[in-house]
Amino acid sequence: MKKVLALFLVSILLLTACSSGSKDKQASGESKDTKEITVWAWDPNFNIKAMNLAKEAYKSENPDLKIKVVENAQADIVQKLNTSLSSGTTKGLPNIVLIEDYRAQSFLKAYPDMFQELTGSFNPEDFAQYKMAPTSLDGKNYGLPFDTGVTGLYVRTDYLEKAGYKVADLQNIDWNKYIEIGKKVKAATGKVMLTQDPKDLGLIRMMIQSSGAWYLKKDGVTPDLAGNAALKEAFKTYKEILDADLVKPVSDWSQFVAGFNSGDVATVPTGNWITPSIKSEASQSGKWAVVPMPKQSGIASSVNASNLGGSSWYVLNVPGKEKAVDFLAKTFGSNVDFYQTLNKEIGAIGTYKPAAEGEAYKASDDFFGGQKIITDFANWTEQIPQVNYGLHTYAIEDILAVGMQDYLKGKDLDKVLEDAQKQAEEQIK
Amino acid sequence: MITAKVNQNQALKTAKSGRKIRAKNTAIGWSFVTIASLMICLFYFYPMVQALILSFQSGTGANLTFTGLDNYARLLKDPTFLTTVKNTVIYLVIQVPIMIILALFLSVLLNNKTLKYKGLFRTAIFLPCVTSLVAYSVIFKYLFGQDGIINIMLMKLSLISEPIQWLTDPFWAKIAIIVAITWRWTGYNMIFYLSALQNVDESIYEAAKIDGASSIQQFFKITIPMLKPIILFTSITSTIGTLQLFDEVMNITKGGPGNATMTISQYIYNLSFKYTPDFGYAATVSYAIVIMIVIFSIIQFKVAGDKNE
Repeated sequence: MKKVLALFLVSILLLTACSSGSKDKQASGESKDTKEITVWAWDPNFNIKAMNLAKEAYKSENPDLKIKVVENAQADIVQKLNTSLSSGTTKGLPNIVLIEDYRAQSFLKAYPDMFQELTGSFNPEDFAQYKMAPTSLDGKNYGLPFDTGVTGLYVRTDYLEKAGYKVADLQNIDWNKYIEIGKKVKAATGKVMLTQDPKDLGLIRMMIQSSGAWYLKKDGVTPDLAGNAALKEAFKTYKEILDADLVKPVSDWSQFVAGFNSGDVATVPTGNWITPSIKSEASQSGKWAVVPMPKQSGIASSVNASNLGGSSWYVLNVPGKEKAVDFLAKTFGSNVDFYQTLNKEIGAIGTYKPAAEGEAYKASDDFFGGQKIITDFANWTEQIPQVNYGLHTYAIEDILAVGMQDYLKGKDLDKVLEDAQKQAEEQIK
Repeated sequence: MITAKVNQNQALKTAKSGRKIRAKNTAIGWSFVTIASLMICLFYFYPMVQALILSFQSGTGANLTFTGLDNYARLLKDPTFLTTVKNTVIYLVIQVPIMIILALFLSVLLNNKTLKYKGLFRTAIFLPCVTSLVAYSVIFKYLFGQDGIINIMLMKLSLISEPIQWLTDPFWAKIAIIVAITWRWTGYNMIFYLSALQNVDESIYEAAKIDGASSIQQFFKITIPMLKPIILFTSITSTIGTLQLFDEVMNITKGGPGNATMTISQYIYNLSFKYTPDFGYAATVSYAIVIMIVIFSIIQFKVAGDKNE
């Protein structure tokens, strides 16, 4: 027994020696001058391409700086950031990282001082206002707004025509009208209206944000589920859509994309970032159009514009941060020409307002029957109601996903939301 | 007189050197053990102790504060945690017995002396165990998809008229997970039974045959009792494995629909990485798994274990 104790003590000694050693190393690393900065982002067709274009654009400013763009799945980025930041070591972390707006507050609050303040390196007035709440904390800017998650309803014009509808009939409709159209489309073509993943309540999020509501109250901390009229209406609509048999269930992203690429669904209500995926099925060229997102029926504040996803660039407080800030400020932060290239090359719509004046934003797209979709999206972006996503989007969403299953099985809706409220209050402290 | 003294001195010397040798041996022995022990302390015990300390703290990300037993109190009231425990217990109660019985059955079949191509069959059944957890999970996800081959086959055979929602229906999603883990782990357990069966003395069966025992009687009266320690071992390892189930659920259903298939381990992952990170509470949940494993193992020892433990 004594021997075991001795062994234990020795090992503790060894451990303390190890841990103090690593701290010293970290401090000495900071003085080094960095010639290379690293960027982490996900989605090779969109974010990675955008970053590579930014890299090209920055060459004229500072040809010496090497920029390494690394692709990681979003879940991996979140996981790596969490483990590294919470352990207190910044080794192996990138200089610039892309973070989804829904998660931004949780990172900013959970790891104070780990993110570099960007206030002053760009003009917040130049960006869509709804991006400011998620990217700043205590009045300081930390994130440089990147893509907009402005939503639209992508529709198959050929299916609609078979059911006797024109694109004009779908402008500025509400969800009740959407269901009515859906039933006729199904009767005429046998196709369902949309795909849904029961684990992902993106549709609910889009609906409530169009009414200026969210899972949390304006303070970003207090759950707002029971008695949230917009949320209640969204749940009702969701059930009506399912009851009308307008949904093809899917369980992941690839099945979601396959749903519209194979022509199984007549509409895709989602963020504009889906455009490249829709266009990847070239045989459907000319058969698509984008109309404004339906608004909520019976909610006075609801508008025909909403947001889904969208992310922003953050600079980590590690060596090389000054260079990283300069790089972001001179590309995503102020370069109108760069936004034009971005738009032409990958169809990305930034939230940088001056860019909307450029030519690329006014181009028409033959895939969408000559519609000027970028102009449309840019217009809708300005109408998106600003909400405070706060800290706990995904925690609450998992609670609601369970509530949704209960509601679909027949549990009373008010009770569902009350229970969810109670559980959320318990969990979020 | 003098010689006696010299003798005495010599005896003393050899005794001394003997002690020296023994001490040296001990030192050598310890030097071998020390490295491994230190490693174990460093990579097992130290994190365990740290996790225990962590489980008494709460807060977002790096802002942890000590909250005493609050996390444990929250655990008992947390409906998500209770659902994940329920799901895990359902997997445990249904999947482990099915797998153990299947593995026993297969091992007895494959132990047949007259069976041809034994090696081929054994390899085929063991092969799932060498596949990567994530890879096979992804494949199962596509097999069980709405337009997956399982649905297509069942529809072509006219067994069902419309596709089963394997992954998006709370009941069928559980079935899909159970089928997947059974496929993956049956062969693994079978190998243990096969090796144990090879150690069972042939003469016991011979004697039983002479006494007129049928093959069913032989199975229940000889095979099962002889394999009892192995059955205990496999059921404990399977129980531990099921309590820690993560990869399959994460990849096949992501815990959905709702949290109908979510396991305790996945909840730990969500608490740490999907939600605003609360590592303190996540550590508490992981200690709940430790406690459950200990309890289940004790029960299994009591129910099936030998007296001379």
